[in-house]
Amino acid sequence: MRVIRIVEAYVGEYASGKSEVAINRALELVRTGKPVTLVDLDLVEPCYTLRPIKKELMAQGIKVLAWETRGTVGFGETGNILRAEIPWALKRPGHIVFDVGYGVGGARTLELVAGIDREPSFQVLAVINTRRPMTGTVADIVEYVRNLAPVHGLINNTHLGDETPADAVQEGARTVSEAGRRLGIPVVATTVVAEVADSIGPVDCEHNPVRVLRRYMPRAFW
Amino acid sequence: METKPHKFCPGCGHGIALRALGQAIDELGIQDRTVFGCDIGCSLLAWDFFNVDTVQTHHGRTTPVMTGIKRANPDLICIAYMGDGGGYAIGSQHLVNAAGRNEKITVILANNTQYAMTGGQMAPTTLPGQKTETTPYGRDVEWTGLPAQGPEMVAAIAPEGAYVARGTVSKVRQLQKMYVRALLNQIEGRGFSFVETLATCPTNWRTNAEKTWAFLEKQMPEYFRVGELKVPVTTEETLKSADSRRRPEVLRKASRRGEEE
Amino acid sequence: MTGLSESTSANRPAARAGSSATIPVPGEKRVFMTGNEVVAWAAIAARADIMYGYPITPQNEVMHYWTRLAPKFGKEFLQTEDELAAGFTTIGGVLAGKKAFTATAGPGNILMQEPASMAEMMRLPVVVVIMQRGGPSTATVIYSQQEVILTTFGGNGEGFRIVYSTSGLQELYDYTIKAFNTAWRYRFPVFVLADGYQAKMREPLTIYDPLARGMELVPPEQYVGRPGMPGVDRPPGHYRNTYNTEEELYEILQGHVQEYERVAPEIMEHESLETEDADLLIIAHGVVGRAAKQAVEQLREEGLKVGCFRPVTLRPLSAGALRDAVSRAKRILVVESAYGQLGKLVRDALCGLVVEMFSLYKPGVGVTPEEVVIRSKELIA
Repeated sequence: MRVIRIVEAYVGEYASGKSEVAINRALELVRTGKPVTLVDLDLVEPCYTLRPIKKELMAQGIKVLAWETRGTVGFGETGNILRAEIPWALKRPGHIVFDVGYGVGGARTLELVAGIDREPSFQVLAVINTRRPMTGTVADIVEYVRNLAPVHGLINNTHLGDETPADAVQEGARTVSEAGRRLGIPVVATTVVAEVADSIGPVDCEHNPVRVLRRYMPRAFW
Repeated sequence: METKPHKFCPGCGHGIALRALGQAIDELGIQDRTVFGCDIGCSLLAWDFFNVDTVQTHHGRTTPVMTGIKRANPDLICIAYMGDGGGYAIGSQHLVNAAGRNEKITVILANNTQYAMTGGQMAPTTLPGQKTETTPYGRDVEWTGLPAQGPEMVAAIAPEGAYVARGTVSKVRQLQKMYVRALLNQIEGRGFSFVETLATCPTNWRTNAEKTWAFLEKQMPEYFRVGELKVPVTTEETLKSADSRRRPEVLRKASRRGEEE
Repeated sequence: MTGLSESTSANRPAARAGSSATIPVPGEKRVFMTGNEVVAWAAIAARADIMYGYPITPQNEVMHYWTRLAPKFGKEFLQTEDELAAGFTTIGGVLAGKKAFTATAGPGNILMQEPASMAEMMRLPVVVVIMQRGGPSTATVIYSQQEVILTTFGGNGEGFRIVYSTSGLQELYDYTIKAFNTAWRYRFPVFVLADGYQAKMREPLTIYDPLARGMELVPPEQYVGRPGMPGVDRPPGHYRNTYNTEEELYEILQGHVQEYERVAPEIMEHESLETEDADLLIIAHGVVGRAAKQAVEQLREEGLKVGCFRPVTLRPLSAGALRDAVSRAKRILVVESAYGQLGKLVRDALCGLVVEMFSLYKPGVGVTPEEVVIRSKELIA
C-alpha cells in the first residue's frame, strides 16, 4: 500500500526527548520535498517547547503551528491555550508531525485534532529514555506505554545529556526492545547525537536503525 | 476528664459548650486519641483546658491544621474549635474546602454574633441592626449583608456522609447529643462533621443575665435555626452500636436523668 | 464492630496497592532528570511520609511526580485549597509525627510565610521547597532570585529558620534529603530555595538511597497522639504560639536565640573557589553561583586574580567565612537575579569591614558566565 503522507505523533514521559525527536523527524521529512507541518501539542506546563525556536525552524522550511512566547503573555500563567489552527492541522497538505506534551491524558490529547481517527497512516510513537527513573526498567516501560494508549512504535532515546556513553544507549536499546517484545510493539529506531552515533554504527545491538539527532531543544526554554 | 474552673467570662457560652464537648469525649471513650485545635479568639482560652493534646493555631487556620493531622494519622480524633470569624470569615475557604472534600474531622464553631476577644467587632453572624464596635449604628444589611448561614452552607456543599447541625447552649442535652453524633461520624469514618453552637457573650452584648438569655433564645433563633441539617443515613444504626459501647456509668446516669430532649 | 482502623486503612494507598516497597532507588543510579522531579524522588529517598501542596508554576511537577510515585511507596498526598492551607496542613503533618513537606513559588511563597511564622514560633520541623519565579506579584513564571528576603526573613519574626540555596540538580537531591534531617534534628523550619531554572532544567545526576550510603535519617517524633492517656500515663501535649506578657515572649524568644546561635555553626555551609589570593571576590548563590564559578575559572586562565564565595546556607549565613574571604580582597562583586537581596544579607554580614562593594543585579533574569566575566574585568582593572 502506497503511503500518501506521514502523520506521526511523538508521545512519552516528561523530558523523554519527544520534542527533539519530533523536530529532527520533521527536518528529515522536509528533505523529501513535500510540505511538512510540526504541531505543538504541549498542554501541561510547556517550558521546553517549540515556541522559542519557531522562527529558526520555519527558516528551515517547516511550518510550525505554535505560539511565539511573546504572544502568550496574559493568556494565563503558562499560556497553554490551544491555538485555533491546531485542531485543523490535518487539513494541511504534506507530512504532519505532532509533538505531544506529557500528561495524564497521554495519546488521548490527539483527540483534540479533528479527523485523527480517520487519518489512514497515523502512527503514535513513544519516545523512551531509560535513564529517566520512571521509565528505567522493562516493567516500568510496559506499564507506562500501556497507559499512553494507543502506541504503534517505540523509540529508544536513552541518554544522559552531555555525558552519554555509548553503552548507556545500547543498554537502553536492550531494555526498550524487551519492553517492545512484551507489548507487541516494534522499536522503530534508536535516536542519538552524532558523536555517539559514530561509535554505535548504523544499527544498535538489537538491530534497530540508528537515527542521528541534532540538538535544538537547549535553545527552547519558555 | 476532671472538671476545673475555666477562664472565660461569667455567662460565656464557651464554658457550657466545652463542658458538653468534654462529656461527649468521655462518653465515647476517646480521650486518649483526641486532638483539640483552637483558633484565635476566645476559643484559645481553652488551649490548656482539657487533658487532651491541644494545638492553638493561627486565626482561621484551625481547620487546615486539624486536616493535616488527620491526614497524617487517621487514628486520631481531630476537633477544630473556633469562633464565627475563624469559621465564616478568615477561615471560610478552609471550612468550605474541608467540607467539600468530606475531611474526616469535626468542626465546632461558637456563634456569638461578634468578635469577642478583640472587643466586639462585627462578625459574619452579627444580626441586622445589632450594634458592635464596627457597626456603632447597627448592622446595615444593605451595606454588609445578612447573618451568615454557616450550617446551611456546609450542608449544601458537603457530600453524603457528612453530619451538620446547629445547637445552642440553652439546650445542653441536645447540644451534647449533637457533639456525640458529630464525633461518632468521625470515629466511624463517615465524613465531615460540623456543629455550629449558638453561644452567649454577655460581656460584649452588654446584657444582664435575663437579657442575655432572651437574646440567645428569642432573637438569635430568628436567624439561626436550631436542629440537625444533615444526618448520614446510617446514623441510626451507628447510634445503636454506640449505645452498646457507652460506658455503664454513663448509661446509668442517662437513665437517672430521664428522657433526653 | 466497624472500626476506625478498618475504614481508614482502606483509604491508605499502601494498603490498597499491597505495596511493600519503601526504597525507590536501592543503591545508586546515574540518571537524567528535571529539577521538580528530583525533589519528589529525594523526598521519597529521605523517607518523607506526606506532601501537602497547591498548584503554582514552576513547581507543579513536584506534585505531579509525588502523586505518581506515592501509591507505589505508601506515601500520602493532599492538594489543599491554597498555600495557606498547604503550609498549615504541613504543620499538622509534623505535629502528627510524620515527615511532611510542601512546595511553592512566588505569590504562593508570600502566603506560605504565615504558616512559616507559626512553625518558627513553635519550632516545628516543616520542610518547604521554593522554586523562585519573577516578582513582585505575578510577574513571570520563569525564574528569579527575588524571594531571598521573603524566604530568609518572611513572616513576623526574627528568621529563626534554615534556608539552603542549591545550584543544580545534584545539590537539589542532596539538600532535599538533608532538609528533613536538619528540620527534625534541630527543630527549625527548613527551606530548600531553588528557582524556575532548576525546576525545569534537565541534567544528569546520581540518585541514591541515603541509608545505602551510610547516611543517618533522623526519625520524626509525635507532638500529638502519643500512646497513653493524657493526664494519667503522660502529660497532655499543649502547644501554643501566643503569650500574655512581653516578658513571657522575651523568655521564649531568648530560648530560640540561644538554640539557633548554638547550632548555627553546625548548619552553615558555603563553597569557596580561589579566594585565598583574590583581588576581586565574587559573591553569588544558587545557579548564579554556578555561573560565577565558571567565570572565575575562565578569568583565572587569563591570569586574573578573581575568586568566588558561594553561600549554600542563606540562613544561617557563613558570616565568619565570608568576612575572612572578603578581608583578603580589594573589591567584592555581588551578583544575583534580584535587586540587592543577597546584597542585603552580605552587607549585614560584613558590617564593620571596609571594602568596595559592587553589584551585578538582574532582577528576574538569568546571569551568564560571560556577563560575570565582563563585569569582573571592568572591576579588576
